[in-house]
Amino acid sequence: MRRYVLNRLGLAVVTILVILLVLFLILEFMPGSPFNDEKITKAQRAVLDAKYGLNQPALYRFIHYIKAMLSGDFGVSYVIQKNMPISTMLEARLPVSIQIGVQAVLLGTLIGLILGIVAALKHNSFVDNLTTFISVIGVSFPSYVFALALSYFLGSKLKWFPILYTSSEPFVSSILPTIALSVFTVATVARFARSEMIDVLSSDYMLLSESKGVKWQRLIFIHALRNALIPIITVLAPLVVALMTGSLVIEQIFSIPGIGSLLVTAIQVNDYNVIIAVTFVYSILFIAIMLLVDILYGVIDPRIRLAKGEKYE
Amino acid sequence: MRKVKIALSIFLVIILLVGCTSSKPDATIPAETDSPSASAAEAKIINLGKEVELASMDSAIATDGLSFEVIAATIEGLYTIDAAGVPQLAMAEKAELSDDGLNYTFTIRDAKWSNGTPISAKDFEFAWKRLVNPETASEYSFIMGVAGVKNADAIVAGEKGIDELGVKAADDKTLVVELDRPVAFFNSLLAFPSFYPINEAFYKEKGAQYALTADALLANGPFKMKTWEVGGTTFYLEKNPDYFDAANIKVDGLNYKVIKDTQQSILAYENGDVDYVTLTGEQIVNYQQSPEYHNIVAGYLWYLSPNQKVPGLENLNLRKALSLAYDKEAIVNDILKDGSIAASFAVPTLLATGPDGKDYRETARTFPSTDKAEALKYWELAKKDLGVSSIKLELLFEDTESATLVAQFIQSEIETALPGVTFELKSQPKKNRVELMQNGEYQVGLTRWGPDYADPMTYLDMWTIGNPNNYGTWENKEYDDLVNSASKGELASKPNERWEALKKAESIVMDQAVIFPVYQKGNAVLIKPEVTGIEFHSVGVNIFYKNADKK
Repeated sequence: MRRYVLNRLGLAVVTILVILLVLFLILEFMPGSPFNDEKITKAQRAVLDAKYGLNQPALYRFIHYIKAMLSGDFGVSYVIQKNMPISTMLEARLPVSIQIGVQAVLLGTLIGLILGIVAALKHNSFVDNLTTFISVIGVSFPSYVFALALSYFLGSKLKWFPILYTSSEPFVSSILPTIALSVFTVATVARFARSEMIDVLSSDYMLLSESKGVKWQRLIFIHALRNALIPIITVLAPLVVALMTGSLVIEQIFSIPGIGSLLVTAIQVNDYNVIIAVTFVYSILFIAIMLLVDILYGVIDPRIRLAKGEKYE
Repeated sequence: MRKVKIALSIFLVIILLVGCTSSKPDATIPAETDSPSASAAEAKIINLGKEVELASMDSAIATDGLSFEVIAATIEGLYTIDAAGVPQLAMAEKAELSDDGLNYTFTIRDAKWSNGTPISAKDFEFAWKRLVNPETASEYSFIMGVAGVKNADAIVAGEKGIDELGVKAADDKTLVVELDRPVAFFNSLLAFPSFYPINEAFYKEKGAQYALTADALLANGPFKMKTWEVGGTTFYLEKNPDYFDAANIKVDGLNYKVIKDTQQSILAYENGDVDYVTLTGEQIVNYQQSPEYHNIVAGYLWYLSPNQKVPGLENLNLRKALSLAYDKEAIVNDILKDGSIAASFAVPTLLATGPDGKDYRETARTFPSTDKAEALKYWELAKKDLGVSSIKLELLFEDTESATLVAQFIQSEIETALPGVTFELKSQPKKNRVELMQNGEYQVGLTRWGPDYADPMTYLDMWTIGNPNNYGTWENKEYDDLVNSASKGELASKPNERWEALKKAESIVMDQAVIFPVYQKGNAVLIKPEVTGIEFHSVGVNIFYKNADKK
């Protein structure tokens, strides 16, 4: 297991380096520069490029960037917040995205699991139909529809929750975005939980356990759910990353100062360092979660653990 | 073993989740108590909804409207601009001008920075020299040369040292400025952030952190920055008790919220969360009848630039045909609907006041607007001149909603009015559009220009030979002589003759169809009726809040 993890970590470092290199090259070949405005003349642009080292070749900049990054220096923003160190920007923005993302994942998974399990147990009942309905709606409607609907009804009409994020009320003002973000998770988890549970519940070993007199709680939550979890975790993993790194649309709508909206703004205005730093964070999170999921597979399903054990240990 | 692993996994997950959420660093997020509390009904706070982040509070680095607006709310220069757009003394108590119009002596008023340090003439000297210092790499360094301050252009070009700039603090109270030519609009330029003072001691103390956070800022103006969350969607300016005219500041604070989603900003306005929002696109129609709706004419002139290097476009008849063939009124009334006005001029309205005290456009010539029949005549002539029966051109524009709609409309108008002319549309992100135009890699480009100072010259000098903004590389010696004389030559010291020369220069631009004007931008905003006294300007700093009030 340890060797497996170490292997994966090594691979992760290489992956991130490759991602960064590709990013550097893409930005190099993309037209435009951060300093492109009607007001900036070519001479001024040369001065600015020299100041920020943009006149150097991309590979040279890449090596310098990696060096600086190892000491926690992600450079400064060129456009969005001029001369602001990006590490400072991320420090402030990342927790906001993660907070709302985690809330949405927890809420979405919890509700999704409950709906899915109940629907599976009461197959073809009203709850089952309701779950299917919610799943279809949740998957097919984009999240901004929910975001706008929630803001309009719960925010503007009923005035239960603020419609804009404020850092003085980080929880209360994150309620609407959390709900809006979690809808897709609810739908996905419910759908998978339902079909997997139905599958598992109708299997022979469940019948056997039941006939042995295993209590129903244990039957459902240990025997059935555990078997149903693998596919759910597989679909949940990328979802978790997407939610934690902030949904662009949701952040935009609720004015959440997270990194999702930061990335999009950065791409629009060619704020190179911001693009690279946010992508870097995104990659790290993605790789970390995937690693965690791999470990979780083994924990949940001994068969996978054994298979991997044979291979790696 | 299995249980240990399960426990370990759960532990890891919890660490990841909890660790992430609780890692919010207190240092970067200001204490909650600093933010204005919504419940404090007695405090007069104006809530402003804005679409972009505050990019910079450094007066030499900032380049966008919002940054200038906020800097101007917190810092005052030698002059400020009053509601009518006329420069008024601010940090200068007295200004004396030598007879030849080249030497200014400013007496600095008794005023303080928000840390208690008195405002000194040295603060101006330091800030001005910093602006032109090539190390600062200010995008606005050129404006010191526009102001005519001695040696500014040479310093920016790196040919002279910064100490040769024509500005000197004779003592703490006296600032002496030397110009290399008389500049008619010098006072109004002094109200622009590039000319604002910076306290050297404070600047050096903050080092690289200067102007990046609320506590790395000093104010001498009506307001001071109380909170500015890094990456934050809110920042709050509170009334500055140390401002010399603090007794006349009626509101307790300005609370800015950055709301990028236009739908949500309207909802926030309707909800009472903000007192001010900008409207865009379709929303404008819904509010046009509302008493809270306001049209604000901005300085930006949008125009088509024909590239003279493209075969065909060097022909005056073709250019004239194109310039008359599209319905500008329809563009502003049916497409933009935001208070923009149809432009048939190269120098916008409400930009500059002449020596006669009248707006430039009031006394300048009027030029032909849309005239499709006339356009067709020119097109027939052009066909003869060029010996062709049709021509294919590419129209470059940026990929914003409004630019796209305008470009599509112009395409269909021109193709209908002038049979044989085909326009191909080429949409690019703004930064690329600008780069293509700067490199001359375009045929006809839809572009804009915002004024830097209140004088027609901010537009007219664009079309001189070698000017980097003369994208189409049009060349006319007579025009150049006229503009050079008016900006740096003998006409510079003769206001009335200069004014007439500027009008003549504009006539040349229009008669030669150097550009095809489209519209002068307007902004549509909603302001709550209880908020009054926000002053809008189309040049320099666009919004002043000094006289704002909230009932």
